[in-house]
Amino acid sequence: MSDREELRDRIAALESDRRQIVEEAQREADAMFAQYQLSQLLATGAGLQELAGMVLVELMRLAEASSGAIWFQGTTADRLRLVASLGPLANDEELGQASSVPAIAEVCTPARGWTVLGLGDEPPLGVLAVAPEGGALDSEGLRVIQLSRHELAVAFRSAQLREMLDRERQELTAIVEGATDAIVQVDELGRFLRLNPAAEQLIARAGAEAVGRRCADVFDCARLGVHDPSGCPFLEVVATGEPITDRTLDVRDATGRPKRLAGSFAATPPEPGSATRFTAILRDMSAVKALDELREGFVATVSHELRTPLALIRGYTETLLHLDLDPETRRDYTQRILDTTGRLGTLVTEILDIAQLNANPVVLERVPVRFESLVARLRGDLAMTGSDDRLAVSLSRNLPLVEVDSTRIGQVLENLVMNALKYSPADRLVTLGASVESAWLVVTIEDEGIGVPEDDRQLVLEPFHRARNVRESAMPGTGLGLYIARRLVEAHHGELRVSDRADGRPGTRVTFSLPLQRSGRAARERGSAAASSAAASSTADAASAGSDGRPPFATGTRHD
Amino acid sequence: MDMIRSADPNRAQALPDARPDSIDGPAVRAYLGRIDRLIRRHRAYLTGLDAVLGDGDHGDNMAIGFRAVSEVIQDLPPNATPGVVIRAAGHRLVAAVGGASGPLYGTAFIAAGHVAGDAGVVGLETLASMLDSAATALARRGRCAVGDKTILDALRPAADAFAAAASNGSPLEGCLAVAVTAARDGMLSTRPLIARRGLALRMGTRSIGHLDPGAVSCYLLIRAMIPGK
Repeated sequence: MSDREELRDRIAALESDRRQIVEEAQREADAMFAQYQLSQLLATGAGLQELAGMVLVELMRLAEASSGAIWFQGTTADRLRLVASLGPLANDEELGQASSVPAIAEVCTPARGWTVLGLGDEPPLGVLAVAPEGGALDSEGLRVIQLSRHELAVAFRSAQLREMLDRERQELTAIVEGATDAIVQVDELGRFLRLNPAAEQLIARAGAEAVGRRCADVFDCARLGVHDPSGCPFLEVVATGEPITDRTLDVRDATGRPKRLAGSFAATPPEPGSATRFTAILRDMSAVKALDELREGFVATVSHELRTPLALIRGYTETLLHLDLDPETRRDYTQRILDTTGRLGTLVTEILDIAQLNANPVVLERVPVRFESLVARLRGDLAMTGSDDRLAVSLSRNLPLVEVDSTRIGQVLENLVMNALKYSPADRLVTLGASVESAWLVVTIEDEGIGVPEDDRQLVLEPFHRARNVRESAMPGTGLGLYIARRLVEAHHGELRVSDRADGRPGTRVTFSLPLQRSGRAARERGSAAASSAAASSTADAASAGSDGRPPFATGTRHD
Repeated sequence: MDMIRSADPNRAQALPDARPDSIDGPAVRAYLGRIDRLIRRHRAYLTGLDAVLGDGDHGDNMAIGFRAVSEVIQDLPPNATPGVVIRAAGHRLVAAVGGASGPLYGTAFIAAGHVAGDAGVVGLETLASMLDSAATALARRGRCAVGDKTILDALRPAADAFAAAASNGSPLEGCLAVAVTAARDGMLSTRPLIARRGLALRMGTRSIGHLDPGAVSCYLLIRAMIPGK
C-alpha cells in the first residue's frame, strides 16, 4: 500500500469516526430533549389519571408504539391498577384485570408484540407496556424511557399523593364547614385566620369581616372585662404551648349580645415556613347558662317567696299567742295572716300551673265561647274587689265565637288586667279591647302605668323575670304571671307580646291573639270580607296580618 | 457546488441588493435583525396563544432568545459567512430560550447552518436545502410530524414550497413569496388540530380551535426572510 493510499484510508477512517461522533452527539441531544419534554409534562401538576394519559401518549411516541398501557400502585394496596391505555392492542378489560407484574407479563407477552418496562425501583411502583404496529419499537426511544423510569414513578406517586391530599382537604373542609361547633383559627397575635359557618353565626359576623381582626376586638373582651390579656386562652396557649381542653369564657357577639362559650384551645403544628396557628373549638353555652340561671332563679325565688309570707305568718301568730292584744289589733293581725296565706296560695297555684304547662301537651278543654262572656265574668270578679270601675272595655260589635278553654283564657285575662291595675296609678283606667283581624281575635290590654323597659319586653315573658323598674319598686310579685299567660295563649296557637301603647303615651300594651272558631270564621268571611279587611287595616299590626293561619302579629316561629 | 458567489461578501446589504438569488453573511444578519423586531412586535400575541395551550411564555421566550441572538452576532467578525452566523444564532437559541422552542429552533438553525457550510454566499438550491434540513432536524428532535400542531406545520410546507419554486426556476423573491404563503397556510392549518406534542397534550381535544403558538412564531420567522417586512 502506498503512502498516499494509506493516507486516504486514514482520512476515510477519520471521516467515518467524525460521522459516528456527530451521530452520537445528535442521539444524545435527541435523548436529552425527549427527557426534557417528558419532564415538562411530568411537572404539570395534573392528577394521576390525567398525567398518566398524557405521559402515555408521549412515551408511545418515544417508543414509536401504537399501543400502550400504564399501571400504577394504589395508595394503600400494593396491587397495580391500570391508569391509562391506548391503541388497538390495549384491551382495557383484559389489561385492567392484570394487577401484578407477572400478571401483566402474562397478558402483554413479547409474542403479541408487547415490551414491558418497570417504573421505579424493584419491585416497581408501576408498569409501562408498549407495542408497535407492524414494525419495531424505537430502541433509542426505549432508552430514553429507561432513563426516565424513576422520574416517571416519582411523578406518578406525587400526582397520587396530591390527589389524596386534595381529597382529604376537601373532606376536612366539609367536616369543618358542617360542624355545629364553632371552629376558629387565630395567629400568634390573636388575629382571626379562619372561621367556619358555625363560628360566623356565633359571633354574628361574616368570616370575611372578622378575618384579620383580633379576636379580643371581635369578642369585645376588653370592654367586657371578662379576662385580662393574661387570661385569654389563646394567649395562654401561645405562651405555654400547652393545649387547654376545657375553658369557659364570657364574650359578646357583634350585636353586643353576651355569649358564654366553652371549648378547647390548642396550637396547630406549624407547616414549614409558616407561623404557628391556634385553633379553638367552641360551643355556645349561652342557652345552658340561661337555663342554669333560670333554675337558680326559680329555686331562689320560690324559697324567698315562700319564706317571706311564712315568716310573716309566724310573726303574727307568735304575737297573737304571746301578747295580750286588744280585739281590734287581734282582728287586724288575723286579717293579715289571712292575706298572707292568700298570697302563699296564689304562689303555690302558679307554681303548679307552670308544672302543668310544662306537661306536654297542655290539655285544653276547648269550647266555642263568646269573648264578651269572658269579659263579663272578669268584670264580676273585679267588682268583688271594688276595682271594676277602673276597667274600660271597648269591644268590636258582634265578635265571632272563639274556640278556647274558657277557664284558661279567663285566667289569662284576669292575670293581664290585674297586672295592668297593679302597675298603674289608682286613678288611671285600664283599657281592654278586642277586635277581629283575619282569622284571629286580637285582644289588647293597655295601662298608663310604669311600662316595661324595651330590653325587658322579651324577658318578662319568661318565668321569674320581672322588669327592672318593677324589681326596683317594692311591688310584690312572683314573676310568673306573664309567663303563664304567654304559655296559655301559645297553647291555643296564639301569640302574646308586650309593646308600647298605641297612642304613644307612657304605659304598657299587652296584646294576645286567639284563633276564631272555624264556623264563626267561615260565617264571618261569607258575611263581610270588606269589613274584615277594613278592620284589619285600621290597626298598626295590619301589615303583618296574614291569612296563612298565623297570628296577625306573628314575628317568629314560636307557636309553630 | 454550483453556488452564485457574491463579488464582495462583506457588503452589508439586504437581499435584493446583493447579487440576484444569493445571500451573504450580512444579508443573514439583516434577516436575524428583522426576526428580532417582528417577534418583539408580536410578543404579547404569542404569549397569549401559549397561555391557552402551553405555559404562557412563548412570546417572552422568543423575544428574549432573538434579542440574545442579535447581541451575539454583533460579536462575530464582519466577514462571517452565512453558515457561521446561522450556526451561532442556533447555538444561542438553544441556550437562551426557555421551554421547548429554544432547543427546537436552535436545532433547525444549526442544521441549516451546517448545510451552508463555509460558503461566503449561498444560492437558491442551498437555501432550499437549508430549509429542508432545518425542517428535518426539527422533526427528528421534536419527534413530530406534520399535523401534530407544532412548529413543523408551518416550517415543512414552507421548505417544500421553496424547494419546488427553486427547482421550477423561480427567482429568490418568488421562492420566498410561495414559502411565506405556505407557512401561513400551514400555521392556519393548526387551528382545527388536536395537539399531540408538548404541554398542549394535556389539553386533548380542547386544543382544537386554537392556533399553535409555535406554528405562528415559525410563520413570523419565514416571513422575516422577505426584506422590508
